Amino acid sequence: MPRPLKRVITALVLLGVVVALEFGFETVMPDAAWRQLALFAMVNVIAALSLNVINGMAGQFSIGHAGFVGIGAYTGAIVSGNLHQQLGGGDPLFGNSFLVMPPALLASGLVAALFGLVVGLPSLRLRGDYLAIVTLGFAEIFRLTIATATTGAAEQGTVGRLLGALGGQIGYAGPDDTGVPQYGGPFWIFGAVVLATLIAWRLKFSGWGRALRALREDEIASAAVGVDPTRYKVTSFVISAAGGGIAGGLLASMRDGNPTIQPDQFTFSYSFDAITMVILGGSGSVTGSIVGGVLVTFTVKLIEQLQGLDSVLALKAAYPALDLNALRMVLYASILIGLMILRPEGLFGERELFGRRVVRAKRPPVGPAEPVPATTGAEAAAERPGAPPEEQPPGTAVEHEVKPTGREFE
Amino acid sequence: MSLDLQRVTKRFGGLRAVGGVSFSVPDRSIFGLIGPNGAGKTTVFNLITGVYKHDEGSIRFGGTDLAPLRPSQIARLGVARTFQNIRLFGQLTVLENVLVACENLRRSTLTSALLRSPFFYKDEQEMTERALSLLSVFKLEEMADEISTSLSYGNQRRLEIARAMMLKPKLLLLDEPAAGMNYGEAEGLKQQIRWLRDTFDITVVLVEHNMQVVMGVCEEIHVLDHGETISHGTPEAVRRDPKVLAAYLGEEVEDEARPAAAAAAEERA
Ligand SMILES: Nc1ncnc2c1ncn2[C@@H]1O[C@H](COP(=O)(O)OP(=O)(O)OP(=O)(O)O)[C@@H](O)[C@H]1O
Ligand SMILES: [Mg+2]
Repeated sequence: MPRPLKRVITALVLLGVVVALEFGFETVMPDAAWRQLALFAMVNVIAALSLNVINGMAGQFSIGHAGFVGIGAYTGAIVSGNLHQQLGGGDPLFGNSFLVMPPALLASGLVAALFGLVVGLPSLRLRGDYLAIVTLGFAEIFRLTIATATTGAAEQGTVGRLLGALGGQIGYAGPDDTGVPQYGGPFWIFGAVVLATLIAWRLKFSGWGRALRALREDEIASAAVGVDPTRYKVTSFVISAAGGGIAGGLLASMRDGNPTIQPDQFTFSYSFDAITMVILGGSGSVTGSIVGGVLVTFTVKLIEQLQGLDSVLALKAAYPALDLNALRMVLYASILIGLMILRPEGLFGERELFGRRVVRAKRPPVGPAEPVPATTGAEAAAERPGAPPEEQPPGTAVEHEVKPTGREFE
Repeated sequence: MSLDLQRVTKRFGGLRAVGGVSFSVPDRSIFGLIGPNGAGKTTVFNLITGVYKHDEGSIRFGGTDLAPLRPSQIARLGVARTFQNIRLFGQLTVLENVLVACENLRRSTLTSALLRSPFFYKDEQEMTERALSLLSVFKLEEMADEISTSLSYGNQRRLEIARAMMLKPKLLLLDEPAAGMNYGEAEGLKQQIRWLRDTFDITVVLVEHNMQVVMGVCEEIHVLDHGETISHGTPEAVRRDPKVLAAYLGEEVEDEARPAAAAAAEERA
């Protein structure tokens, strides 16, 4: 099948699936809590895919992805909330989502990318672990700036008032406080996952992705072949931030999700979960990020659910001093440690589910004739190869040297 | 003159690794840079390629002052190199290692990679063709899809040269390419170096301890010791220079040169 035709068919099939999900999702998953979890997993997959670009492919350790997701979430909430108001409010209709979601997600991605540029430009020039420190600091500054904007005298001045309008610790629920409109149904969220996967895959399997991976392996050597480390690192960081922002934009308007965006959703523990998704799935692997995103989301949720089990409640009744929350973290950590012992390179390593095997045609030899076999010095000196020119492709003709007299050492 | 160094000095704290070194490398020549361990040869390469910046003097390539340029910019001017302590892209395959080196020659953009436009496929195919052809010069084509670090030591050295050539360089800097190679392999390397120079019209600067290779292939040799120039000239002249002999101490360069060089090569392997 010719390539363009194959692409059109694939695109149509995927579109069909996503549209079917939009309308059939409630039938497939009647339980709203499960629907929420499934959509949240998809949002996390996008966060993991984007983090994988900088952490996995470029090998730069960013530990503040929650900051970009958060910026995207607030931006998306503001844009979609205001557009929804313009459209007259009411129930978020599927038809209207085409007017709301594209600008909201675009804004989420752009604003996050802008912050990515501001954070990445100075810190990626430096070697070592500066990026980790800077990204961690940035994410916390972002979160605390919003969380504390309504306390004390902070609500003074234009900036203070604008930040205060985001609701501080209580959260942002749209311009009229009725909740962020939930336009992000399965169509948008699954659709975004498909697009994000496609982009991540094509980035990885392009010269750009190759240069990025080379840079991760050896910065000096990649600069020596003309790959500018700073340029590639900053570009990948900005792309990663934009992806995180879009994940945030989706999170903000996720159907069955929380209609209020709160700073506490974007603590370090979310950054940590995102890193776990990438590393657990396999750093650098697109497939790995998807599997990691789903797995971590559900594992965290399942462990939470354990707290409600009768036997666990009985245990708690018997030992009132037991801290179930702490126990949950212990369990989560044990699972992670176990997996890292069993598969230190993550589930997929850097590999993908669909490996592509290349078959290459045999080619005529190029280059100088066979080197002199390892004989004794005298033999070798006596007979240098006259080197009959073999079949060679045009343009690579070999000019064999005439034996230079007097210059030879032997 | 292709490459021109004038009174280049580099200090590491109190150590003067390179002190007032001047030499010019004629276009299309194979030029040797030799000297005992710690003489400053690798440092000179690092200064030319911008890994370090020189404290004094000037380094020009084809008339361009290299001082203000970053390593990646110098590489794009057409200066390629290999590393004494092999620096391959470990987790990448042999073919990918070579392909990275033509990333800056690519005409198609990141957008066309994302859209998988016809330009993207055309570029990739042309690059792969050229990469495979270079790999075959060094007999590495069969291993194209293997992870680069799984290659033997000698093949890793040859892969570094293939990768450097992928840049379409005008100047190729080789830092001890024959290290760890046996007699026959070193002979093959000599031919490959000449072949590269003749086929691609490049200038080669060779740092090498293996005298079989240096004396066999270089047209002009510059000798450093403790960061300073002690001799310069044709291989015969350098070989007879008492200062060079003194610098190399036990490493006789004159009559019993081959056994001594071979022994030295074994020692290093
Ligand atoms: N980054 C550095 N910091 C401090 N000193 C250095 C550095 N790089 C090199 N040197 C010192 O500079 C001197 C010259 O080193 P260089 O590596 O250039 O020698 P070389 O001629 O390549 O030797 P060899 O034949 O052993 O490779 C040595 O004394 C070395 O210790
Ligand atoms: Mg050296």
